[in-house]
Amino acid sequence: MRHYEIVFMVHPDQSEQVPGMIERYSNTIEKDGGSVHRLEDWGRRQLAYPINKIHKAHYVLMNVEASNEALDELTSTFRFNDAVIRNLVIRRDESVTEESFIMKAEKESRERKSRYEERKAAEAPVAAETPAEAPAEETAAEPAPEAASEEK
Amino acid sequence: MARFFRRRKFCKFTAEGVKEIDYKDLETLKAYVSETGKIVPSRITGTKAKYQRQLATAVKRARFLALLSYTDAHQ
Repeated sequence: MRHYEIVFMVHPDQSEQVPGMIERYSNTIEKDGGSVHRLEDWGRRQLAYPINKIHKAHYVLMNVEASNEALDELTSTFRFNDAVIRNLVIRRDESVTEESFIMKAEKESRERKSRYEERKAAEAPVAAETPAEAPAEETAAEPAPEAASEEK
Repeated sequence: MARFFRRRKFCKFTAEGVKEIDYKDLETLKAYVSETGKIVPSRITGTKAKYQRQLATAVKRARFLALLSYTDAHQ
């Protein structure tokens, strides 16, 4: 049994298959007595460069403890599955269970987004009130350009 | 006589005692990659050789997974 870190990228059109794929792969690992220590679904991410004219991909990260046979099976399924664009398998010395940097960054950006939306929602009623005041301002502002033209 | 006092370079990873540079830590990796996508040499960044080797593999892994770009000339 060895520790591995697996990342695979799924075609965005086949994104719905991902939960099924994760389950199948987990089963192949666990039936040989292995275990999944960390499982992260990064979701659909923008690629840094297009691969096969695709600009987005669904990423999944798995840290597993698996036997050689299970891993061989897994890599061959990656190879023959057209939905998997790319896969990376790295040998690790120990099990890794803490949250990865990408997941952290994603959560942070999501938090920031929700905070931004909250602020926007808080500002919205204020924005709704301003139009009532705006006409008064406009009438006040209108004479000014005329005055400016007269000066010329 | 023009004398330039350069700020002393230091290795961030040695200072922080990083165990292993992670290819998923994009914020850190981006600091060691030039605008054109090249890995910045250690003679410029001051990274220790041990960490420069780890950095190179980390950047290459990130590139393979399209987390970082190989060059700025991609479409």
